[in-house]
Amino acid sequence: LTNILRGLNASAKKHVLFTASFAIRLTLVAYGDYQDRTMVVKYTDIDYHVFTDAARFITEGQSPYNRSTYRYTPLLAWLLTPNIYLSMVFGKILFIVCDVLSGLLIYRILRLRGLGSETARRVCSLWLLNPLPMGVSSRGNAESILAALVLVTLLCIEARHLIWAAIFYGLSVHMKIYPVTYALPIALTLRTFETRSEENYKRWRWRRFIGFMGSFLNRELFLFASVAGGVFFMLTALFYYMYGWEFLHETYLYHLTRRDIRHNFSPYFYMLYLTTDSRWSQWLGLLAFLPQLILLLVASWAFYSDLAFCCFLHTAIFVSFNKVCTSQYFLWYLCLLPLVIPHLSLSLKQGVGLLLLWFVGQGIWLGPAYFLEFEGYNTFLLIWLAGLLFLIINSSILIQIVAHYKPTQTSQRLKVE
Amino acid sequence: MYFVLIYALACLSTCHCHFIEKGKNENHCGLLKQWLKSSLVSVEIVKEGFHREVVTTVELSPDVLSDVRVLLVHRWPRGVFVDPYQLASLSDQSDWQILLDSAIDLEVPAHKTVGFVTYVYPSPDGPTPRLLKVTIPIHGRYHEPSFVELLLRTEKCTQLNNKEPYTAVVAPCTPDNSSTCQWVKLQHQQERGAMGVQFPVGDGSLVRPVCGGTLLVTVLCCVALSKHMWKHRIIKQ
Repeated sequence: LTNILRGLNASAKKHVLFTASFAIRLTLVAYGDYQDRTMVVKYTDIDYHVFTDAARFITEGQSPYNRSTYRYTPLLAWLLTPNIYLSMVFGKILFIVCDVLSGLLIYRILRLRGLGSETARRVCSLWLLNPLPMGVSSRGNAESILAALVLVTLLCIEARHLIWAAIFYGLSVHMKIYPVTYALPIALTLRTFETRSEENYKRWRWRRFIGFMGSFLNRELFLFASVAGGVFFMLTALFYYMYGWEFLHETYLYHLTRRDIRHNFSPYFYMLYLTTDSRWSQWLGLLAFLPQLILLLVASWAFYSDLAFCCFLHTAIFVSFNKVCTSQYFLWYLCLLPLVIPHLSLSLKQGVGLLLLWFVGQGIWLGPAYFLEFEGYNTFLLIWLAGLLFLIINSSILIQIVAHYKPTQTSQRLKVE
Repeated sequence: MYFVLIYALACLSTCHCHFIEKGKNENHCGLLKQWLKSSLVSVEIVKEGFHREVVTTVELSPDVLSDVRVLLVHRWPRGVFVDPYQLASLSDQSDWQILLDSAIDLEVPAHKTVGFVTYVYPSPDGPTPRLLKVTIPIHGRYHEPSFVELLLRTEKCTQLNNKEPYTAVVAPCTPDNSSTCQWVKLQHQQERGAMGVQFPVGDGSLVRPVCGGTLLVTVLCCVALSKHMWKHRIIKQ
């Protein structure tokens, strides 16, 4: 009887958590509406107005790219057409629903990886009761849709529903480019794994290499690649047919060749600003890709067997070493952090210390940035140095996470003395 | 703004040229010119940083009739821009409306674009007050001076003779850009000192240390992170 009661209690607690987190977000949306109507400083983010204007163009039968600075997939504008037909607040409701859904997906993934219900609930409350995703979604940013898509992909792979995983993966790459970096660890996970025996090891190097390449040719990986690729190319072809070259440019090419010379968290910002018109700018841009690429390759190879951790590292590295970095991007890896936390052997004090360090790094950057943008002081040098410091802080935090990560029992960590 | 010009233009769709009406017409056009001469325009730039506000104050002379329409023309350099979406939301709360002469690219740097012209219509639907104050939010690209022109028109002044120092200029009648009218402008009014806005720019002489420093730090972080990731890599059993 006590077991049943304990079980009921856990389920009830779970429902309370999810209901409360949805209710808080709903309250924020209502408050945001009030602030928009009454105060000069608006609560709603400018991006939300961009989405709504693009949706309005679609309802009039035109291209959403008529709205300048709309640089997303047309799918998002299509999703938000009820903003025009029903109410302006529909999009925000959709985003907070995806937010809470992400929390549910985190819970399911943690349970699937063997965590107890109590611990799983506590960990996913780090996302559900976290003010950052609450604020971002209630202000009208669409990041939570992508967080939900990435998490559902991970859940499906974890549960070995590969076709669904491939569909959601194709969809998430269509919406934003950065999940394409997960392709390598996913491929490494799905390939045929051969246990290394002594005689295999003694074979010639090129035979081992051929064996390695051959391990990629298996049914599961082929299925995943073709379904994901099919979904992605079908969507691309459909929207190219509907909106032409502009769709390709605004959704993908702009982000790949983006050189935002205005100040942002990236360590490369000042270098790119000063060299905008020089003949070295192309080479420097390519050079800036190298650390990102090298780190992503190393991370894939080192951690592919723990896909959630690998994806977290991938995204954190991608964002920290990117040529453009704004605070919206942080949500891309923060949604994967709850999957990593249960396996970290950091003490609470160490964990909170790292978190504070991260915030301090942002604060040191935000100070001179405010003075540049709103007071007109020439603080470019300080912003540059703060950007470099933020990169160093991010790298240190990632090193600490990697050093204290204890994977689940099915894998074993290699420690080189 | 290095000089302020005043325009007043008249517009009438049908033109019946009776002698008496002609006399009245000239009287009204003469009045326009008089009012232009006696009106005061001042411009002030407030706030700091890349987001400023240009406050234009117009004080029309006391004997100006209420059916006179006012148009303020600002010629902006390529170093600043206005945000059409911000202006659209502002126009709900203010009593003036603005018309832009070209589409504005919000993100292009100054040397890759050209200047633009804005037409501000204070109180387009009601009688023109004597004291007008228009605040336009602008955002910086680089700094260069701009200047403003004041134009006036009234329905009653139909035919304007282009006698120096007054000129007739064609500009849109109302903010919806449905038709153009003649407005009167005063040329070569008092010269005003150049008005400039300063925006901070990056220090180009630091290119080498900045590039060197950035690449050094990113490479060091990359090496450190790679080393630790490889050291703690997971081997599948």
